[in-house]
Amino acid sequence: MDEAIADFALEYAEAKKVEYAEVRAHSQVQEMLVLRNGFLEAYASAVNSGFCVRILANGGIGFASTNKWSKEEAKTIVDLAFKYAGSANRREKLVFAEEKGVETKWAVAQKKKIENVPPEERISLFTDAHKALTASKVKIPATVMQCSVDLATRYFVNSEGSRISSFVPKIGAYAFITVAERGKTEQAFRQFGYSGGWEAFREWRIPEKLIHEAKVLKDVITKAKAVKPGDMDLVCGSEVTGIAAHESCGHPMEADRILGREMSQAGRSFIYEGSEFWVGSKIGSEAVTVVDDPTIEHSYGYYVYDDEGVRARRRFLYKKGVITEFLHNRESAAKLGTKSNGSSRSVSYDREAIVRMANTFVLPGELSEEELVGDVRRGVYMKSFTEWNIDDKRFNQRYVGREAYAIENGELKGPVARPVIETSTLKFWTAVDAVSKKVGFDAATCGKGDPAQGIPVFTGGPSIRLRGVYVK
Amino acid sequence: MKDILAKTEEVVQKAKKLGADEAVAKTTFGRYRQVRFSNNQVDTTVAWNDYSTDVTLAWKKRLVATQIHDFKHVDASVKQLLTLAKVSAENPTFGGFAKGRFRYAKSRADEKLEDLQSLSGYVLEAIEVAKKEAGGKAQTGGVLFTKFEEVYLASSEGPVGLDSRSAIELSIRAFSQREASGHGVECASTLRDFKPSRAGEKAGETAKLAKNPKAGEEGVYDVIFDPLIFGSLLGVWGGMVSAYYIMVHMSVFVDKLRKRVAPEIVTLRDNPGAYSVSSRVFDDEGVPTKDNVLIGKGMLRNYLHNTSTAKIFKTETTGNAGLVSPTPWSIEMDGGDTSKDELFKEMKKGLYLTNTWYTRFQNYEKGDFSTIPRDGIFLIEKGEITSSWKDLRLSDNALALLNNVAAVSKERQHVHWWLFDMDGYPPSLSPYVLMKDVHMTKSK
Repeated sequence: MDEAIADFALEYAEAKKVEYAEVRAHSQVQEMLVLRNGFLEAYASAVNSGFCVRILANGGIGFASTNKWSKEEAKTIVDLAFKYAGSANRREKLVFAEEKGVETKWAVAQKKKIENVPPEERISLFTDAHKALTASKVKIPATVMQCSVDLATRYFVNSEGSRISSFVPKIGAYAFITVAERGKTEQAFRQFGYSGGWEAFREWRIPEKLIHEAKVLKDVITKAKAVKPGDMDLVCGSEVTGIAAHESCGHPMEADRILGREMSQAGRSFIYEGSEFWVGSKIGSEAVTVVDDPTIEHSYGYYVYDDEGVRARRRFLYKKGVITEFLHNRESAAKLGTKSNGSSRSVSYDREAIVRMANTFVLPGELSEEELVGDVRRGVYMKSFTEWNIDDKRFNQRYVGREAYAIENGELKGPVARPVIETSTLKFWTAVDAVSKKVGFDAATCGKGDPAQGIPVFTGGPSIRLRGVYVK
Repeated sequence: MKDILAKTEEVVQKAKKLGADEAVAKTTFGRYRQVRFSNNQVDTTVAWNDYSTDVTLAWKKRLVATQIHDFKHVDASVKQLLTLAKVSAENPTFGGFAKGRFRYAKSRADEKLEDLQSLSGYVLEAIEVAKKEAGGKAQTGGVLFTKFEEVYLASSEGPVGLDSRSAIELSIRAFSQREASGHGVECASTLRDFKPSRAGEKAGETAKLAKNPKAGEEGVYDVIFDPLIFGSLLGVWGGMVSAYYIMVHMSVFVDKLRKRVAPEIVTLRDNPGAYSVSSRVFDDEGVPTKDNVLIGKGMLRNYLHNTSTAKIFKTETTGNAGLVSPTPWSIEMDGGDTSKDELFKEMKKGLYLTNTWYTRFQNYEKGDFSTIPRDGIFLIEKGEITSSWKDLRLSDNALALLNNVAAVSKERQHVHWWLFDMDGYPPSLSPYVLMKDVHMTKSK
C-alpha cells in the first residue's frame, strides 16, 4: 500500500468542484487452504491491494477503484468518479450526515500471530481434525474443510480531515460433512470466525464439534422421529436465536433497505414510513431485546471505525419488543434526519461501503437452560438449524432443525427429525416469553451488495422459548 | 496484446525454471462499469479497473496459487509460491494440467463495451418503459453492468491463448404498489443485442398484474416458471453436475450418471457460446470450451470436468476447469415445441411464478430445499390470470422437480442478475417451463 498515492488522489479530487471526497486503500494478505476428505486440494496465497475514490458532486455519487498504484492511475479513477457523480442528474440531491474529521490508528491484537504459523502447521491442524472425525466410528463419505486468513491493512482519508489507519487480522474456517447410514445421508455445515490471531483455532474446538455433529446426524438417520405437526412450545438454541436475530431483526433494520436503495437486490423491509411498523412500533414481546454491536472484542464482525470513518457503537434494534434504532451509514442517516451509527462496511477496496450488520444478537435474560425447558409440557428444542430462508421484506421466515429433541413434561426426550418452523417476524418474536442467561455466538458470512460483498458477522444470543407456535 | 501474452508466458517459464512441475498463468485486464439506481434515480455510478495475473503451479502434486498485480513482482511472487508448494501437502488426486496445443474459436467481444459512455441513458430508458407499463407512480430500482475483459493464458503443458469477453446486463425491478412488483432482466454479450426497454417492459407489466395481492394458499400446484425463476433452478442443477460437487456429495446427481433423472423433454447443456454473457473460448487450463450436453432427453449424460476430476472419473475434461472445481459457464435448457402462450392457455388451475431468491438446502444429496418466490405470483384458472398472490414458499425436492417437468416453451431468454452471483449460479438461457405437483407452503 502506498499511502502517498492515496493522499495524492484525495488532493487531486479536492481540487475539483466536489461536495465530498474520500479515498479508501486496502492491502489484504489473503490465504486459503481447502481440504477434501482430509487431503489438501490447494493452498492459495495473495496480496489484494488497491484503492478507491468516492466523490459526492452535484448531489450524485461516483465511485472508481483500481489495483494499480500510480499517480497517473489515481488521476484516471478520480476523473472517472467525478464524471460519474456529475452524470447522476438526481432530482433529490444526495448529502451525507455530518461528521467531524478523525485522525487515529487502531488495530486488533493477536496473541499468536497468524503470520508466525507456517502453512504446514495450518494444514496439519485441519488434517488432524479430519482424522479425529473419521476415528469417531460414524460413516462419513465426504468432508470439505476450508481455512481462510485475511490480514487487512486499511487507510482512509477524506475531505473533512479524517485520516484513519487500521490493521485487522481475521481467521475463518468452515467444515461441511456428510454422514451415511442405512443407505441414507444427512449433512451439516459449521462455520468459525475470529478477529485476532491463531489462538482462535484452539478456542474453536473444531474436532470436538465435528464429532458431535457426526453423531447427531447419525442419530437423525437412525433414531429421530418426525414431529406431529401442531401448535406447541419451541425452545431455540443460540444458533437458531442468532439466525432469526440476523435475518428478521438485523436485515429489516438496515436503513438503506428501508429507504429502497436495495429494492432490486436484497429487497426492501416490512418496516417503512407510513406502515404499521416504524420506530416505536411493537414487533415482539418484552423479553426481546436485539442489538447489533461491532465493539465485541475478537468477534468476527469487530471494528472500531467503519468504512466511512465513523466510530462504531452498540445499536439497539428491538428494545423490549419495540423497534428502536435503524442501522445507518452517512447517506441513509441524512435522508432520515439523523446521524450515522457507524454501520458502513466494505469487504474490499473495490466495493462501495454500504449499511451492514456486525454482530447481531439477543440480549440474555435470567433463566437457566433447564428452567426454559422445564416449563414446557409439549414442545421441541431446536438446538441448531439446516435449511433456512426469509422473504425479501424480511417477514416470512423458515428454519429447519438440524439437532433437535422432543420436550415432554419439562424433559428433553429423543431426537426429532427435521422439525420446521415457518412463521412471520411478528409472530416469532411476539411468541417469546423467556430467554436464558447464557449467550452463544456463531460466525457467519452475511451476503449483500452488488457486486456481492460477503461480510464477516457474528449471530447469536441465548436460548429463547416461544409459546404456542406451529411446528411441523 | 502480444506483449502481455509474452509476459504471461514469462511467468510460466519462470515457474518452470525455479522447479515447478507444471504451471498455468492467466492475466486478466478487466474494465467493469455499473450504474445502480433506486426510487427511479441513479444512486451511484461505479468503475473498476482490474489488472491481475492468476498463477497456479504444481510441485510433486502440491497445488498452490497466487495472484500478481504487477509484472515487476513476478520473480518474488513465483519464488514465494514455490516455497509455499514445498511446505504444502500432496493432493493425491491432482491429475496435472491439460496437455497439448489447441485452436480456439475467434473471440467475438464487443469493443463498444470497453468504455461505454452515457450509461445512465440506458437506465433511464428502462425506467421510463417500466413506469409506462406499471403506472406513473411506480418505483423502480436496479443495476446496469458492463464488462470488457482481455484474457491471456499460458500453460507449461502447451496451451497458449487470447480471449476477449464482453457483456452488458440490465436488471430492473418495478413496484406498482408496496407489495406488487415485477422484475425484468436484459443480458447480452454485445451492445447490438441489448434492448433495455425489454427488461423495463417485463418489470412494469408484471408489477401491474401483481397489484392488490392476496395471501397465497398452501398446496400442491401445477406451476409455470418464468425464465427468470427457472434460471435459478438451472443454476442449482448446473452446479450440481460439477464432478467436484459429486465427489463431496453436494449434488442430487451422485451415482446417477447414465440414469434417467428427468422426462424426455428435458435437455440441459453447458454452452459458453458467443452470445452468452459468460462467453469464453478456453477454460482455466487452456482447454477449448464447448457445448456439453449434461442431461440429454432426460438421461444424465455427463458431469463437468477439469483434467484432474476427469482422471478420477476415467473420462476426458469437458473444458470446465476451475483448477480445483470444474464449473458450469452458461447453462441452457433446450426449447420445447410448445409456445409460451399455449402453456398458459392449457393450464386449468395452477400458479405462475416469476422470480425467486434465497434457495437453501437441508441436504444437497437428497435434494430437499425451499426457495421464496418474489415479485409476481399469479393464480391461473382456465388459462387466465385470475388473482395476484403473495407470501408463498416453494418447499420441495430438486430431483423431484426435475422429474416433474411437463412442458417446455419454444421461447427462451438469457437471464442473469444479482442473485445468481450471490448463490453462485452461472448465467442461463432459460425457457418457460410447466411443472406438475409443486409443493407450496406459507407462514403460520
